[in-house]
Amino acid sequence: MKNRKGYGHQGHLLSPVGSPLSDNESGAAAAAGGGGCGSSVGYCGGGGGESPAKEQDRFLPIANVSRIMKRSLPANAKISKEAKETVQECVSEFISFVTGEASDKCQREKRKTINGDDLLWAMTTLGFEAYVAPLKSYLNRYREAEGEKAAVLGGGARHGEGGGAADDAGPLAAGGGAGDGVDRAGHDDDAHVGLMMGASSVGFGSGGGAAPSYYAAASRKAYGAGEGSKVMEFEGEEENGGVQRGRGFASHLHGAVQW
Amino acid sequence: MEPSPQPMGVAAGGSQVYPASAYPPAATVAPASVVSAGLQSGQPFPANPGHMSAQHQIVYQQAQQFHQQLQQQQQQQLQQFWVERMTEIEATTDFKNHNLPLARIKKIMKADEDVRMISAEAPVVFAKACEIFILELTLRSWMHTEENKRRTLQKNDIAAAITRTDIYDFLVDIVPRDEMKEDGIGLPRAGLPPMGAPADAYPYYYMPQQQVPGSGMVYGAQQGHPVTYLWQEPQQQQEQAPEEQQSA
Repeated sequence: MKNRKGYGHQGHLLSPVGSPLSDNESGAAAAAGGGGCGSSVGYCGGGGGESPAKEQDRFLPIANVSRIMKRSLPANAKISKEAKETVQECVSEFISFVTGEASDKCQREKRKTINGDDLLWAMTTLGFEAYVAPLKSYLNRYREAEGEKAAVLGGGARHGEGGGAADDAGPLAAGGGAGDGVDRAGHDDDAHVGLMMGASSVGFGSGGGAAPSYYAAASRKAYGAGEGSKVMEFEGEEENGGVQRGRGFASHLHGAVQW
Repeated sequence: MEPSPQPMGVAAGGSQVYPASAYPPAATVAPASVVSAGLQSGQPFPANPGHMSAQHQIVYQQAQQFHQQLQQQQQQQLQQFWVERMTEIEATTDFKNHNLPLARIKKIMKADEDVRMISAEAPVVFAKACEIFILELTLRSWMHTEENKRRTLQKNDIAAAITRTDIYDFLVDIVPRDEMKEDGIGLPRAGLPPMGAPADAYPYYYMPQQQVPGSGMVYGAQQGHPVTYLWQEPQQQQEQAPEEQQSA
């Protein structure tokens, strides 16, 4: 049995988005044409405005979506703008679809908070059984990591606190990530690539000429940042790919992440 | 719905192994030796030979062989996809940086008025789930791109992946109906004879009425095979788990 209420949300989610998204993507296309990696500049421009379109909040950033898509494709593959936008819409629909099912379950059980297990249950119900094994492993390891730092789950920890914890765990995490990344990427003695690839986990079909250089550049910038701002800089790189804009966006994200 | 067994399940075991980084041209026509082998094997689409000319029979056999190879290749890609997902997650040591912004995920979850409170771990789970979702959808879409001998992933490739994959039927309204029209798979349609009611052989293919009658329906039906395989994924995953595999 599949939950169909997602269709109702779709009209709400999608109908007001076409026009502003189109403007944003025009900028993104120009950035891509300039040889930049993905469409981060265009998106950053949109996000940097004093009043960013709220409709865009209904989708995940197209730069992130695009970057993940490329990991599934050979190096010489291209992705049309329309395809990226379509996947953006599909991902939001996926989140709403699974969330709706999980929410129904919580209501039946008179619980108020949706947790990770509810989402895994919902995915099983909706036919995404294959996702559950990797995600269960991920969730368990996340909980272990959180437990080690004595973080309060759901307690609304500030992003800054998270950053501090990451700094504390830096050497171990970086070492682990670098090791795995190096093995995966086949780049001996290149810690920069290793760190980023460990964190990003390069997947199927990647490894072409463009990706490593981009990752290497991003990692280098991340290392160049001061110790105190390392985490924010890293996130900025993920979002935008540019140092100056990344800094600004990271600050914005920091503000937004206060749960 | 219960999946039907793979007609060519046994043959798949003997197929050649494609390296992860290799993308053989989707439109490659089967060599003569494979055609000979095809003549001896059972046909997934029984047809009355008396109604087909010798030339049509040869073209038909070649098309069948092509489709079987294509399906095997795509299933191997999907199999490797899931092995890599598990390997990738087991290698994760950093839970503070995600490829997708958690605040945005939370906002999308909150768009549903029924959703009240969300634990901190829920967006973390979704960040990884959405990553897998994007990777799988893109991979399945790319299969369609390759079948059409293109190098640019387009919206109609995503539409094709959505129509071919059962778990994506909640997405059918996102792509316009005309985007769902199946393109040919690198072979001229005129080369294939019309066939009667092939969709009946695949009752699980949930929207045969969407397909163009004739060869279009044939392609659509055949591409339904990955759906069957998908239901077998958990078992396959268990078999694969003990093995140590490295990405290319």
